[in-house]
Amino acid sequence: MNRLYPEIAVAQLSKAGEELCGDKVEIARTEAATTVVISDGLGSGVKANILATLTTKITSSLLKRNVPITEVVPTITQTLPVCRERKIAYSTLQIIKLLPDSMATVVEFDSPTTFLFRGGQVVPFPTEARNIGGKAIREGRLLLGEGDIIVAVSDGVIHAGIGGLLKLGWDWPGISAELAAHCSPADDAEKIAEHILGCCNGYYLGQPGDDSTVVVIKLRRPRNLTLFTGPPANRDMDEQIVKRLMGGEGKKVVAGGTTANIVSRVLGLPVNVDLNYQDPEIPPIATIDNLDLVTEGVLTLTAAIGRLHDIRKLRASARRDGATLLARLLYEADRIDILAGTAVNPAHQNPNFPAQINIKAQVIANLRNALEDLGKRVTVEWV
Amino acid sequence: MSTLLVEICLGTSCHLMGSQDIIDAIESLPPDKRGKIDLRGVTCLKTCRKGPNARINGVVLSEMTPERTLAVIEDNLP
Repeated sequence: MNRLYPEIAVAQLSKAGEELCGDKVEIARTEAATTVVISDGLGSGVKANILATLTTKITSSLLKRNVPITEVVPTITQTLPVCRERKIAYSTLQIIKLLPDSMATVVEFDSPTTFLFRGGQVVPFPTEARNIGGKAIREGRLLLGEGDIIVAVSDGVIHAGIGGLLKLGWDWPGISAELAAHCSPADDAEKIAEHILGCCNGYYLGQPGDDSTVVVIKLRRPRNLTLFTGPPANRDMDEQIVKRLMGGEGKKVVAGGTTANIVSRVLGLPVNVDLNYQDPEIPPIATIDNLDLVTEGVLTLTAAIGRLHDIRKLRASARRDGATLLARLLYEADRIDILAGTAVNPAHQNPNFPAQINIKAQVIANLRNALEDLGKRVTVEWV
Repeated sequence: MSTLLVEICLGTSCHLMGSQDIIDAIESLPPDKRGKIDLRGVTCLKTCRKGPNARINGVVLSEMTPERTLAVIEDNLP
């Protein structure tokens, strides 16, 4: 069975006048499970942010250590302080846990009901009331399928527009109707999250009365990418590595002039270089049939890492230089396998050249870090 | 009409040593001359130490400048 990949997007607004958001979202991906923990700290600003951060961090680390949810919830609820005046917990807690077989568990403690968006219909994620350690929580489990989308929001979204544009606020049915009418199961998670948050901000007339968070989790087929960069140390390995590249699932990318020549020679296909300089800093791209992208090596990789550090700009960018195209393909992939050649090009040991081109291992390490920070699974194999 | 094949290396070293300037110089030639040139890019000519490299009519030439490239093109134009 093909495992489905949970694509996760988070969109947040801080209460008007506050720099920090009092809602916190912690995402942890391990081999065993993907967990998303959402917490809304009481009030707003620094205090709310600290409370929410504590709640999500503790919950997430307990779950990562395979502590069962039935133990995590009482630990958190007993630890969390309760507001003396309002007699409510200082922060809410919502856990969404997805196993590799797509079994989803949702736990809600004082948080809004989770949405399930399936086949264009929006229903509450099925949960039952439970009492754990004297606290009333809601918990439910459901086997998800391809295209199923889970949406979780903080109460800032539920109450959007309250007393203003909307007397009673946007509320659960309103958000549900918006999802069904204006979002499609074909949309990516980020598009849905941004759309709902955009509406929320609109109902608040651009002045959010509360911290607002939208988390969207969409189950889709995984997207893989294999990147071959740098010639192998041993020329006898060329054919084997090219076979691995071409035999990999998903997109295939080559970064490096000599590397491109190796692939061209082994496959018996020509390299066609595009002479248009889209960006004077980045050498032009090339094409080889059956490959998704062919770029220059270390300069393009370094620039691509820079572009991955600003995803908003990357998504909005219409540029078509090698670094932007490479960064975009890497960003769209969930799992990236890097085949990195260890052969050294003596001509790169030129003191007049940028330092990074001599230290390829560092460039690859930086690329790996940038991708892992974005939640990608990365393997690097030195060949 | 026969054309002159001019290939410019756009690999890392050649790019850093100015291969883009050579391409710009060729692209700026008057249309009658530019029309006789089949300009292409290549990814490596295996003489990275002596870039920027070009291959004109099948002959690899190293340490090229825009001026030298245009002079060689002038001598070889059909």
